[in-house]
Amino acid sequence: MNNYLIVASIIFCIGALGVIVRKNLIVVFMSLELMFNAANLGFVAVSNRLNLISGDIFVIFVIVVAAAEAAIALGIAIAFYREKGTVDIDKANELKN
Amino acid sequence: MHNMPLIYGMNFLEKSMLSIIPETVIIIFAFMVLFLAFFEKLAKRKNSYYLSLIGIGFSILYVLMLSDRNIYGFYGSVVFNGFEVFLFIAILFSGMFTVLMSKDYMENSGMPAPEYYSLILFGLSAMMFLVSSNNLIMVFLSIEFMSICAYILTGYIKGDTRSTEAALKYFILGAFASAFLLFGAVFIYAATGHLNLYAIHSFLENISYAGSNKAVGGIGIKIYISAGLVMFLVGLAFKMSLFPFHSWTPDAYDGAPTPITNFMATGIKLAAFAIFLRIYSLIYNFNIMNFNDILWLLAVFSMTFGNIAALLSSNIKRLLAYSSIAQAGYILIGIIGGGFYGYSGTLFYLLAYIFMTAGAFAVVVIFENSDIISLDIKRYAGIGYKYPFIAAAMSFFLLSFAGIPLTSGFMGKFYVFSSAVKSGYNWLVLIALLNSAFAAFYYIKIIVKMYMPDKEPASPPLNSSGDNLGIISGAIDDGLMLTIIICLILTLLMGVFPQIFINFANNSADLLWRI
Repeated sequence: MNNYLIVASIIFCIGALGVIVRKNLIVVFMSLELMFNAANLGFVAVSNRLNLISGDIFVIFVIVVAAAEAAIALGIAIAFYREKGTVDIDKANELKN
Repeated sequence: MHNMPLIYGMNFLEKSMLSIIPETVIIIFAFMVLFLAFFEKLAKRKNSYYLSLIGIGFSILYVLMLSDRNIYGFYGSVVFNGFEVFLFIAILFSGMFTVLMSKDYMENSGMPAPEYYSLILFGLSAMMFLVSSNNLIMVFLSIEFMSICAYILTGYIKGDTRSTEAALKYFILGAFASAFLLFGAVFIYAATGHLNLYAIHSFLENISYAGSNKAVGGIGIKIYISAGLVMFLVGLAFKMSLFPFHSWTPDAYDGAPTPITNFMATGIKLAAFAIFLRIYSLIYNFNIMNFNDILWLLAVFSMTFGNIAALLSSNIKRLLAYSSIAQAGYILIGIIGGGFYGYSGTLFYLLAYIFMTAGAFAVVVIFENSDIISLDIKRYAGIGYKYPFIAAAMSFFLLSFAGIPLTSGFMGKFYVFSSAVKSGYNWLVLIALLNSAFAAFYYIKIIVKMYMPDKEPASPPLNSSGDNLGIISGAIDDGLMLTIIICLILTLLMGVFPQIFINFANNSADLLWRI
């Protein structure tokens, strides 16, 4: 289980780094999905090791939520692209002090 | 009243359904509002507006009917007792204010109304689910449900680049926070093998009594559980907009439609604080790691940063956003102070915070609707003479934010700070007092500005219809007026007769305290 959790943590960190570093909106959304799926991996590993079912149930719910989030994310991305003509995150700079 | 035993003799389904009746009512009305959109004749703005208000009213009625029950539904995943009653009423009030503020705003924006109101209702039900959830799955699902509604509402104004940008920033950081929360849940699950909060609590109690350091897969359980709890805290701190995780707050609050800003500042913050209070009282209190030190830092930085940034901002919505970061710091002091008095003080402050924030945002909406006064604070000059009542109400809300006696903000700060002193956090309270003295400066600055004569030559441009300078065209929307009056009365009542409200808060904190 430990090894699975280490792998999950590494994937999670890659995802988090991607969200922070990348400038392309679509890549940022992919990184967010990566973070969610790292958590899924952890849940499956733990519930397999401890012979429980609750972790697996959680994973199913997380997949559903991730799908809903992806729908919202792409909707926002399309709205952003229509207004700015790009999906570069640095162009989101209108709200300032 | 708060010693009622569990309801036995009811079958599982009846008990479970009873525990979620207020949420169910809200969801049914949300669907009804949504169905209005199918019929062109019915899809008028007013219909969905009134239908949402009726739904919220029914839900409050059901909460009051169930107020002396103590129900565990769905195998302990959902709890309904006095703690929830207090917070449900606060959340429903926040939703009611949001709906009341929205009528004219939606008419001006020209966007379809039924979807908007139904999303507010769905968000409300998600907040209520979050407050009553007692299982990590429920916590995650309701946080996501609530946030998804908030993301859509933030970007609701089509073609408004500021609104879209706010939604984008809010979404990225919000989903980032949710991922942290989820990964924290993995570690908690790995350490304890439970998802139910009470089960996690009793598991931790067992191991802390035995003093064992039982290994899970080779690494000590303490490392797992503290890693999990820290990540969980990060996820929740985003929603509570505490200092290092606050960066979305000013942008999202600024770009969102103003009623939705009110929704985020009151409802979402309240729900996040409530679930944090529940989890904190159940889990964080164990001697696993000194969480109070982390919270101490978060509170101090939130207050100081929020106040300094608010001083420097010139946009009223941004100013209120930064001030809400500072207020979150004050509320956190009650949780750090802990114990019965700390928790009831926190609940009291949360209730007081809702009314003053909703009132202040209602005033902002009035001036934003009128098309004459923009969000820039400079343009507030002289409104004290033109609109005496509104300016007086705004001044009262700002004084309440600053914590001047006779307002609810003062009593809230009093309860929260005294509980922290009781627990020996003298330095924290000293910093908080200095902060609130400093904060009074920028709140009073706005009041002074409102009562100063308007010196700028010909500053209010004629609006499109060529109305009189600086006079709000037409009557002020009665929903907005109603919001301001309710908030004004309750802010005053909570400041002058706090005993009624603190008793209510005590009752609910008592139930939180007793597992």
